[in-house]
This record gives sequence, C-alpha cells and structure tokens, in this order.
Amino acid sequence: MSPPLNDRIVFEDVSKFYGEILGVNRVNLSIPAGITSLVGPNGSGKTTLMNLMTGLVKPTRGRVEVLGIKTDDPENLFKVLGYSTQFDAFPKGLTGFQFLYSYLLLSGRDSQTAEQMAWRAIERVNLVEAAKRNVAAYSKGMRQRIRLAQALAHDPKVLVLDEPLNGLDPLARSEMIALFRATAEQGCSVIISSHILHEVDVISDQVILLSNGYVVAEGQIQNVRSEIQEHPTQILIRCSQPRELAVKMLEDEHTIEVAIHKDERGLLLKTRDADGFYLALNQLALNGIDIESIAPADDDVLSVYEYLIGNEEAAR
Amino acid sequence: MTSGMMRIWWAQIRAVIRLEMRKTFLAKRGLWIYVLAALPVFLFVAHAFVATGWRNGSERLAQRSEKRLVYQDLVAVKPGMTRGEVIALLGKPPVTFRWTENRGGDGNSQVVVAHENYHYSDGQNDLYVGLADGTVGSANIQEGYSPGQSSILFAGIFQFFFLRLAVFFGCLGIFMNLFRGEILDKSLHFYFLAPIRREVLMAGKFLAGLLATCTIFVTSEVLQTIAFLWPLPPSVRDVYLYHNHGLQYALAYVGVTVLACVGYGAFFLVAGMLFRNPILPAAAILIWEFINPFLPGLLKQFSIIYYLKSLCPVDIPTPPGMPPVLALLVSNSDPVSAPVAVVGIVIVALIALYASSVQVRRMEINYASE
Repeated sequence: MSPPLNDRIVFEDVSKFYGEILGVNRVNLSIPAGITSLVGPNGSGKTTLMNLMTGLVKPTRGRVEVLGIKTDDPENLFKVLGYSTQFDAFPKGLTGFQFLYSYLLLSGRDSQTAEQMAWRAIERVNLVEAAKRNVAAYSKGMRQRIRLAQALAHDPKVLVLDEPLNGLDPLARSEMIALFRATAEQGCSVIISSHILHEVDVISDQVILLSNGYVVAEGQIQNVRSEIQEHPTQILIRCSQPRELAVKMLEDEHTIEVAIHKDERGLLLKTRDADGFYLALNQLALNGIDIESIAPADDDVLSVYEYLIGNEEAAR
Repeated sequence: MTSGMMRIWWAQIRAVIRLEMRKTFLAKRGLWIYVLAALPVFLFVAHAFVATGWRNGSERLAQRSEKRLVYQDLVAVKPGMTRGEVIALLGKPPVTFRWTENRGGDGNSQVVVAHENYHYSDGQNDLYVGLADGTVGSANIQEGYSPGQSSILFAGIFQFFFLRLAVFFGCLGIFMNLFRGEILDKSLHFYFLAPIRREVLMAGKFLAGLLATCTIFVTSEVLQTIAFLWPLPPSVRDVYLYHNHGLQYALAYVGVTVLACVGYGAFFLVAGMLFRNPILPAAAILIWEFINPFLPGLLKQFSIIYYLKSLCPVDIPTPPGMPPVLALLVSNSDPVSAPVAVVGIVIVALIALYASSVQVRRMEINYASE
C-alpha cells in the first residue's frame, strides 16, 4: 500500500536532546511547498531540524512527517526526499559519476536508468567535466555540487539543503540559486539552511528563524516583520526635498525618528504606525511634495532576526 | 511482501555488496587479515618442501639398499639382535657410521666400545639402528609423511589456529567495520540517505562481509589442503582422497570455514553496532569461546565454537599425561550431530542478525559523539 501523501512537512511538538545537550525544543511547524529557509546562527538547531526531517536523527519527543510519510520509514521517505548534507565525507575510491550511480543503484534502479539519471544530475550541477575524477580530488565547491546532485538525482518532491552555497564561487552561487528556484517552481518543497542572512532574503518564500534550539518566528518575512510591534517600522523615502519632508513628517504623532539620507536625496523614517504614515504621506504628496519612491527598510531577514534575537546572535 | 519488492530489495543488496567489495578487498586497513589467512598456507607449503625433500632422501636411500625393504622388515629389528642378524634381515646398510668410545674402567684400565649406526629405508620410512660392540642397542623408526598422521596435524592447525584465531580475528576485522568503519569515516549517511530499508542495508552489508571472509578464508583453506596433499605420492594421494575420506574431510573443512564466517560474522556485525571500541566485545567473545568446554550445557549452545568443533571431521587425540583442564580444551567431550550443529550455528547467527536489525533501525547519524 502506498503511503498517504499530503503536501507539507509537519513537526508536532518535536524535541531533540543529545544527552543533556539541547538540539531543538518544542518545535511545531507545518512547512508548505516553495522555498523555505531555516535561519539562525551556528548551533541554533538548523542542522538538527534537517536531520530530524530526514530521519538521520530521531526525535526525543514528538512526531515528524514529510508529505505524510514518517521519518522512520527511509524506504518511502527517500523516494520523495533528497538531502544534501554538510557531511563532507564520501565512500572511498569513487568518482563523481560512480558516487551518483551507486546511490541510484542503492535506490533500486536498474543499471541503465541509474546511469541516465546520474548524468542528468551531473549536468544540472555543471560537473560534467569532473564527473570521471575521484571525488577525493574535488575542491570544496565541487564536493558541494556533487552532494547537491545526489539530492537532486532521483527527482525528489522535497529537497533539503544544509548550507548549500558554502564553498561556491559567486557564479556558481547564482547558478545554484536559479536551480533552487526552478526546482521550487516545479512544485518541489525546497528547505534551505543558511546563516548568511542576505542570501536567504534573495531566495526564500518563507523563513523559519531559530535561536538556541527554539523556533522564534516562521512565515513570510514581511508578515513576520509586521508582527513585531515593539520595533518601529523603518521606511526609506526617496524625494527631491528631503529636509522639507522631514519637517512635515515630524509633525505626525507616530513618527519617532527622521534622518536625512547621506546622499541628500531621501530620508529614513521610523514610525509606530505604518498605515497612518502612508496616509499622511499621500496627503503630503497631494500637497506638492515630490516623492520618487517609498520602501520598507527593515523587513529583510537580518533586521527581523536582529529584532527577535538581538544583534549579537544575528552577527554570529 | 510482493515479488516487486523482493526484486528491488535484491537489487539494493547487490548494490550494497558492490560498494562494500570495493572497500573491503585489498584495502590497506585489512591487509593483516590476508596475512592471517596466509600464515597456515605458508606453514603447509614449508612443511610440504621439508616432507618432499625428506621423501626424496628416503627413496634414494632405498635405491642404494642391498634388498628391497618393506615396513615390516624395518620393524623386525629389535634391541639385542646381533650385527649379523640385522644384515641377514635387511642386507648391508646403505649408510654406515662407525665410531669408538673410550670408557674409563677400574684403575688405569680403559674399555674401548665400538659403535656403529646403520640407516635403512623402505623408500618412505627410515630406520636408525645403533649397535654397540656388534649388538643392537637402539632401533628407531622415523615414519614417513603419511596422510593419517598428517591429517591430525592438519586438524590441530585448523581448530587451534585457523578457526579460533585467523577466522575469528578476520571476521572481527571485516564485520565490525561494516558499520563502525563507516561511522569513523563519517560516510554512513550515504547509505542512510537512500530509499532502502535499514534491514535490507544490514543484510547487504552482512552478505558482503560474508562474501569477503569466505573468499579469503575458503581460498586459504583450499590452498592449505593442496599444500598438505602436495608431498604425497600420487598413488597415496588418490587412496587418501577417494578411499580414505580425504575429499570428504576437505569439503567438511571448507563447510566449517563458511559456517565459522556466518557465525562469527553475525556476532561481530551486531558488536560493531553496539560498541564503539571493538577490543572489549572481541575480548569478551574470545573468552566466551575459549571457556566454552567448561560451561554448563545450556550456555554452551550460545557459542559458535561448540557447533564448529562438532563439525570438524578429524578428532584430535588427547596426548597421554595431558592435564585434565587442557585435555578438555583439546577433546570434544560433548559433540552434537552435524545437522544439529549446522542448525545451531544458523540459529545463533539469526539471533545475532535479528539484534543487528533492531539496532540498525535505531541508529542515528551523530558523528560528533563518536
């Protein structure tokens, strides 16, 4: 009987302790399709969460299911899931091609199919020229790519990638980001962990923020930002008369702080009432103040993370 | 369980075996296992050289004899016979050595004793006769290389070196590393990321280990048998092989070797999953196997050597005067029938494999704690 499928990765009250050391605690998540980033500093629990959803470690408490499949059922789980780990060790003596080919044979594929799928995965990560070389002779970036190829080789519905851009040069990074996007657009759930926050901003549809083993926020980054009431919203306004506009905006009771941009062609404003601010700004525009653009300045992952966790944690 | 699933599992087991074979055979880490397997082969080859040289010498001596002798002629020489009686019985000796001995007598008188040593051969067995003043003082027969006596030597080396040390430690080296080695190399996740049942993975690894150990140790066993038979004259070899159970013994030794790999392999597979340090379980199993003859009947059954000893085709006689404790180790005081022994090993192995399958399902990838 084929296992029941749904379209989410579900954590129900999941905790994981390594002896007395906390991995993650009381995690409740329901991760939809699209690109989801696990964000947090080293030691925040990202890899533990990924290892839990791939069954490499077992929860001390709670339950994890991936598309309705229990994680202690690797036979069915890894038919729909591919995992590119951070473990940088490979079976000895294999070339890049043999590494993928062996993996696909292990999956029960026949020799011919395994060969075709291995080459296709190698092409997807641009490693054709190095495919016949021993993996032990690969650079860090090449090893990263062959691991990615392993995760992609069997066309999974869920792709779990632990720090997938580590060791890649800028060109390879942009290629890989494009690959993740294309994969997600095909309906695949892509879970990416990263401690490089601006990278996550570019990629993610939603984020899960982790700190010291706890999930501190989850969802679309703008929604997460809007939930943080104690920090005023920062808005960057581009205009030709920044000083005049600054004076006007300070008259609004919700405005806390206004600073002229260093290029003198805009101002940075902090307000406790973003909706009220936008109404007031519309009024000013109608009264003849020339406004070029308005953009939120702190709904990126870094800002949200700083607000939730603090500067020290975010910088780690 | 459908035939489709069985087909996939078998394909997966083949893939695991293929990967493991690449790692196991001729891996630097496992070279000592080849040395262990080759040691008895070297011993038998060396023995074959010595025995062949000795047989050639005996044949040359027999050709130089005045009479064509048989074994009965050699054993007919007894102490107290005169030189003349010996020569009448065996003819002039082909090799003679004479010397005199001066013995101190009473006062200043000296007694001179004339000694002679004769060396005869029937082409296979040698007779050394010592005469003093024309009378036989000693007659020693050095029996030639015969399969009867040598098969006991073979059995001793098989039981006390090959089974208990070479196969035991060889299985330890290969089976314990199937999972433990991967954990130390931090590469076990490669298998755990594939859509393969953990039990199927374990079965694949066990079969790979079995294939490797059987190839190494059965090859060694076959080479030992060839080296053992090599010095025998073809006619004696044929009689031994086809009329005196020689072939049957050889096959039995191969079978016992395979069963030893099955039994010890299953033990060390589970030990490699349960223990980080292989020395402790290896020592525990070695001691358990060693004290097996002293255990109560029920506990004896939970060991591999108990069944293997019963399957060995040649019993080793206990030398007279051996202390009872050592005699208990050498002899098989409580043998079981061959079918019971085979089933016993298979059951013990299945229990160990069941424990492995439970353990492999619980295993996590946590290299940091290793």
